[in-house]
Amino acid sequence: MPVSVLASALVVLIALALFAIALSTLYLNTYAWWDPKTQIRTSYSGLQASESCSFSLIMPCRNEREDVMRATLSALLAQTHSRKEVIISVGHDDPETVQTAHKLAREFPDFVRVSVDVSETKNKPRQLNKALSMCRNTVVGVFDAESIAAKELLAHIDSVFAAKNADVVQGAVQLINYRDTWYSLRNCLEYFTWFRSRLHAHSRQGFIPLGGNTVFIKRELLNEVRGWDGNCLAEDCDLGVRLSTLGRKIVVAYSPELVTREETPDTLKALVRQRTRWSLGFMQVFAKGDWKNLPTRKMRAIAWWTLMQQHFMAFAGVCIPVAIFAAVWGGFPLVVTLIAFLPLVPTLATIAFDICMLQEFGRDHKFTISWYDYFRLIVGTPIYQLVLAFSALRALVKFIRRDFGWEKTDHSGSHLSYIDTAVAAPVRP
Amino acid sequence: MAVAELEPPLAERKDSPSPQHRGPGPDAPFSLTQLSSWDRITLWVLSAMAAVLSLWNLTGAPSYQDDEGTYTAQAFAVQSGSLAPYTYWYDHPPLGWIQIAGLNWLPTMLGLGDGTAIGATRYVIAAFFVASALLLYMLARRMKVRIPFAALTTVIFVLSPLSLVLGRQIYLDNIGVPWLLLAFYLALSSRDALWHHVCAGICFAVAVLSKETLAIFGPALLMALMYRPRWSNRTFSVVGFLTVGGLMLAFYPLSALLRNELLSGPDHVSLQDALSYQFLERSGSGTIFEAGSSRAELLAGWLYFDKYLIAAGLAAAVLCILRKQSRVLTVAILSFAIPIVLGQGYLPAMYIIGVIPFLALALGTGVDIAWSGLEKLGKNRPHHRRPLRSAFVAVLCSALFLMSVPQWFEQDRDLLTAETNANWRQTLNWVQDNVSRDDVVLAPYSMWYDLNSSGWNDAWTMIATEKPDLDKQFESVHPGGWQEIEWVIVGPSVTSNIDSLGLSRAASALKHSTTVQSFGEWSIRRVDPPASPQSTER
Repeated sequence: MPVSVLASALVVLIALALFAIALSTLYLNTYAWWDPKTQIRTSYSGLQASESCSFSLIMPCRNEREDVMRATLSALLAQTHSRKEVIISVGHDDPETVQTAHKLAREFPDFVRVSVDVSETKNKPRQLNKALSMCRNTVVGVFDAESIAAKELLAHIDSVFAAKNADVVQGAVQLINYRDTWYSLRNCLEYFTWFRSRLHAHSRQGFIPLGGNTVFIKRELLNEVRGWDGNCLAEDCDLGVRLSTLGRKIVVAYSPELVTREETPDTLKALVRQRTRWSLGFMQVFAKGDWKNLPTRKMRAIAWWTLMQQHFMAFAGVCIPVAIFAAVWGGFPLVVTLIAFLPLVPTLATIAFDICMLQEFGRDHKFTISWYDYFRLIVGTPIYQLVLAFSALRALVKFIRRDFGWEKTDHSGSHLSYIDTAVAAPVRP
Repeated sequence: MAVAELEPPLAERKDSPSPQHRGPGPDAPFSLTQLSSWDRITLWVLSAMAAVLSLWNLTGAPSYQDDEGTYTAQAFAVQSGSLAPYTYWYDHPPLGWIQIAGLNWLPTMLGLGDGTAIGATRYVIAAFFVASALLLYMLARRMKVRIPFAALTTVIFVLSPLSLVLGRQIYLDNIGVPWLLLAFYLALSSRDALWHHVCAGICFAVAVLSKETLAIFGPALLMALMYRPRWSNRTFSVVGFLTVGGLMLAFYPLSALLRNELLSGPDHVSLQDALSYQFLERSGSGTIFEAGSSRAELLAGWLYFDKYLIAAGLAAAVLCILRKQSRVLTVAILSFAIPIVLGQGYLPAMYIIGVIPFLALALGTGVDIAWSGLEKLGKNRPHHRRPLRSAFVAVLCSALFLMSVPQWFEQDRDLLTAETNANWRQTLNWVQDNVSRDDVVLAPYSMWYDLNSSGWNDAWTMIATEKPDLDKQFESVHPGGWQEIEWVIVGPSVTSNIDSLGLSRAASALKHSTTVQSFGEWSIRRVDPPASPQSTER
């Protein structure tokens, strides 16, 4: 008798934990839509009359194709903002990319320079730090090698810096090649919810892991905190955590026509590697413990929850069916079994809202979303969840083994075909 | 704070009210967090009034009904871990009495309700009634009805004898109604916030899981949600409302499935059987146009309690078409009325409870619409303005006077002063004092829980009148059939129940019994089975 009571209590406890996780996912994913006012509050605030800062844009590249780099660079050079320079950051062990970088720099000698990282271990934060030492302008921005920036992005970012007296401005990134593979649709939508909604919710809570792309930081501040952590796999998240802890003003802004467009990893294997790296990075940041310096207990709790989110999410998706299965076939009292079903309510609601978001994603970027796409989204969700859970597990194994090697994501440039056809939507009132 | 979100552009902030202007302006949408002082005062007065009227003589009148006893008994069964003292056969979703179970320990602990379980449980219903009254005012205000007319809405709701009689009794409809009103209040949220609309879906699901007939208001609620200028979150709101509400409702069939009672089958009750009984097999109530049909009689009964509210509410529902935000009321009342007028199926007597707040609200809104028309008229003729207003108030007051004084006053006075449960109580006491706890007794459900908990503590020794015939378990506990029954307690509704439900075992026991003691319409009868054992009636 006591054993069965104990087992029931365990099932209820697990179900309630899963419910909390699913509810938190639902809250974060739909935060931007909770109130129409949130949408206004989270968008760019309009252009200022004059330019107030100058930009040094770092473009970290590794084993990159020339056409991909060229597309990224030309989008940066086409910026309407007048004061900018681009630093292509490469590693000395990657001679082909170094060559391409120099070739591009020669074509635009006034705007483009090359930074070659010669350190032993190669990773993105080290390349960034090396390039940072060459930056001359007041604000440093990071653009991945395959990111296509919107033409007016810098002008708007400049205005946000001026109007909000910000230390950091995080712009939005959007994956757009949603038709390419079964997982790319899910992946695109994940970015959509991250930059459209989740980041704003985190920002509201006062603790924010930054994105590694389309992020702008005052150069002096960046030097003050000694740049990026050269050993961290989620250098962007780590920087966000350290700046949050210092109480610096981080502003997040979203507008569909100003998103930086990117592509999804081109194979499932690449996706798993990318997610493993992120998970591992979050674990590193968590273990580093900078978040423990946050001023209040509440903020530390939020930080803990935020850093653990990736793993919670991954495992909740897998655990919910298992918990239900166990409760149904385990011969528990009816109430216990019903409670085991409870996490399904926010989970299924999240999927229902995903459908609304896919519609909005299509409208924002002028894509025609078909019935098949909606179907793919729903059917793909559980499988994608398994992939995430697998990656998180893989990261955990690597973490225990102290294996922190950088697994780079390759870029095939498939998003470029989407940009030719898809013109950014006009500014909505 | 380390991080800031972008604030709305300056131009927009200028439109919002200036900071020195505290409190909402006359056109500000109604919100509980920003109440004007008049709203605050009105709410306090109305809640005091609703509380007094619903609590005064609560155990004296109206007399305890079998349904009240059923839900009381089921609520106590929940507290001990099952859904009903007998086999739960999906007659209603259980959330209504689960809510009672969550609350009725409090009046029981405080010793309210004359020491009876059924009396104590009426106090829980009183809380729901007060909540309904306040939500009705809030809903009226959210629909932009002026304060006096919104208050009038609640006053009508609280004073109408139809509402007051039914609103004091332990019916599942009384539990569902405040949830339904809250759903409407949230669906009409002026902020268009997604979470209000998701919560509206949850509240509606709770209302329907408390009493399934409230589902009839679904279309009106969906209309309340969607019927307004387009807003950016519209798809999200509708999807959130339907999905979360639907998922909550799904727990009812899910629980049936988990008990292996979703689909019909031999040797077990099922949701399917219960639904087909309620909607298809149950003897219909006839049409409304057929004199003497039980539907027509039921309607006559409702009209007896308050023909004014029903007639005036229906007329006002037509008037509500004139104003955009009140068309929802027309749809609500219409969709409620269609099954009554066109249907022939079984019509439960409590069905009316769901629509009473909407009739009152239509009335308040109708008066508000008329007042608006008058104001418009007065604008063109400024010197007529005063007399027009006075005439309106005079007409309204005399209409209310005519409506309330003869009929309402009489009936409400009865309700607040009559002692209709004296015989019930004497019967209860007599049985408690004179019947052995080992004797098998048949008792009406209105008295069942109070008797059973006074020493029997066995649902198959102290048996509710319907159960020997309707619950299969009787046969296994009492293989001797009706002859094992030793006492029958007869209340006002027992013989009619035996007739209408075809209770042959109860009828046999009653036939072979003689009255030992009686109190008014209540009697206690001893069963004397015929001496010859060859009787095969079982």
